[in-house]
Amino acid sequence: MMPILEVRGLSKLFEGLVAVNELSFEVGEGEILGLIGPNGAGKTTVISLISGTLKPSEGELLFQGRPIDQLPAYRRAHLGIGRTFQIMKPFPGLSVLDNVAVGALFGTGGGQRKLNKARDDARHWLDFVDLGHRADQRADDLGGPDRKRLELAKALALKPKLLLLDEVMAGLNHAEIDEVVDVIKKVRASGIAILVIEHVMRAIQSLSDRLLVLHHGQMIAAGVPDQVLNDPQVVEAYLGRRRA
Amino acid sequence: MKRRIAWAAGAVALVLLVLVPWIATPTLIQFGISMLLLATLAQGWNIIGGYTGYACFGNSVFYGLGSYGTAIAMVQWNLPFGVGLAFGAVLAVVFAFLLGLPVLRLRGHYFAIATLALAEVMTAIISNLDIAGRNIGLVLPLLKGDTLFYELSLGLLVLATLTVLWISRSRFGYGLIAIRESEDAAAVMGVNTTLHKVLAFALAAFFSALAGGIHAYWITFIDPESAFDITLNVKMIIMAVFGGPGSILGPVIGAFLLSAISEVLSTQVSTVASLFFGLVIVVAVIFMPRGLADVARRFKQYGLRYFGENVKAHRL
Repeated sequence: MMPILEVRGLSKLFEGLVAVNELSFEVGEGEILGLIGPNGAGKTTVISLISGTLKPSEGELLFQGRPIDQLPAYRRAHLGIGRTFQIMKPFPGLSVLDNVAVGALFGTGGGQRKLNKARDDARHWLDFVDLGHRADQRADDLGGPDRKRLELAKALALKPKLLLLDEVMAGLNHAEIDEVVDVIKKVRASGIAILVIEHVMRAIQSLSDRLLVLHHGQMIAAGVPDQVLNDPQVVEAYLGRRRA
Repeated sequence: MKRRIAWAAGAVALVLLVLVPWIATPTLIQFGISMLLLATLAQGWNIIGGYTGYACFGNSVFYGLGSYGTAIAMVQWNLPFGVGLAFGAVLAVVFAFLLGLPVLRLRGHYFAIATLALAEVMTAIISNLDIAGRNIGLVLPLLKGDTLFYELSLGLLVLATLTVLWISRSRFGYGLIAIRESEDAAAVMGVNTTLHKVLAFALAAFFSALAGGIHAYWITFIDPESAFDITLNVKMIIMAVFGGPGSILGPVIGAFLLSAISEVLSTQVSTVASLFFGLVIVVAVIFMPRGLADVARRFKQYGLRYFGENVKAHRL
């Protein structure tokens, strides 16, 4: 089966600093791929490169077999790539419902033309992430956990085929994490492929089909979660070299 | 029900405005024309500044292009006024597209500064064009008919306001607001940000140019300094912000109120009028920084505390 996303030799330099270095991987249809690594490993940069927020210095991106690395971000959204931001970017002055409606209006395939229909869709996605009761509030009146849910609902309203999640669980408590994990499992059950960055190991271990470990912008390990997490190189990247 | 009352009140206000030329004095009608044209400018600014969040300090350029387009068509080519208006509007819209593509890539202060320089540049260019009468200007044919100019200006303001009403309820408008609130997020949600920004800019240019064209024919004389008057930018922005940027009627009400205050002050206390006017604006900015529209929305909920909260929020 053809992978939904192919990344080939992807590199990103920030004024000489190598953030992502010759990275190659694939995301399969309906797969959840976990992307982990210490702070500064280049994880968020990878998501920004795939979503089009940043332009790659080198390398190729193929979405459903089609090159996308020259397309602007909005065209990639139309093709079906949705993302969340680690530093959440809600539309603060809009109601929670309208925040999500923007995704429905402009998402995959150019989105829904009718405002009323888009709002109906938005309501559905708010219920999906358990935020329906806050629909009429302004987005900047939401607390941290609800903002995370909103970020997720906005991305889902695009009806993405590939969802890129950048630390949607950071700052949540155990119960809230379990809820988000359930939501992500529901999303996957609907056939959407997911690339997820997460620091909460318990969650990413139970979610991911495969894990990919980044360190200094390079892939140092890839495979099934249990195997990867016991890889000596991975342990060293996270904990540092043990003194002899 | 509440909605119906609002619509009815709006309709009554509109009928009264239409009737003004038959009940008011000539001076009042002339004041009315200026006020309506300024309100149109404020409403045009509202589209790019209020809805899209790009604080443009150069809309006077579109106003000036509208003035000169109309004047050149009428004086140099002997075309009728309507054709002149259209020509001015086309000039301004084309200019907005050409200019918008590079300038709208800038954000925040950089965008404001880039647009601020436009009027100066355009004044210099026009002053050197023979067809535009160089720095002497152009004299348009005289048409005595303040009623006509008043009704034209009112019609234009209504058209601009209906456009903003449509924007506030359309997919296009949601795109603009998304850009204002967070441009990066808007892009990854599928909003073609460049297209949206340029179209908003062109719409603002269109209405500003028509206002300029009507003003030129009414005043019958234009020169580079008056047509590209940069103080117009400050006026339209203050009016839009006073009334409530990003609202449908805010800029119109802001323009009406501030025009009236300014007029009363300059007739009553002419020498210190601008001082009082400045004071009004400072007080407004401190107590209601988001404009009258926001006061109208939230005053019920907060009461007088609304003003206190605003002062506190800005740590004054």
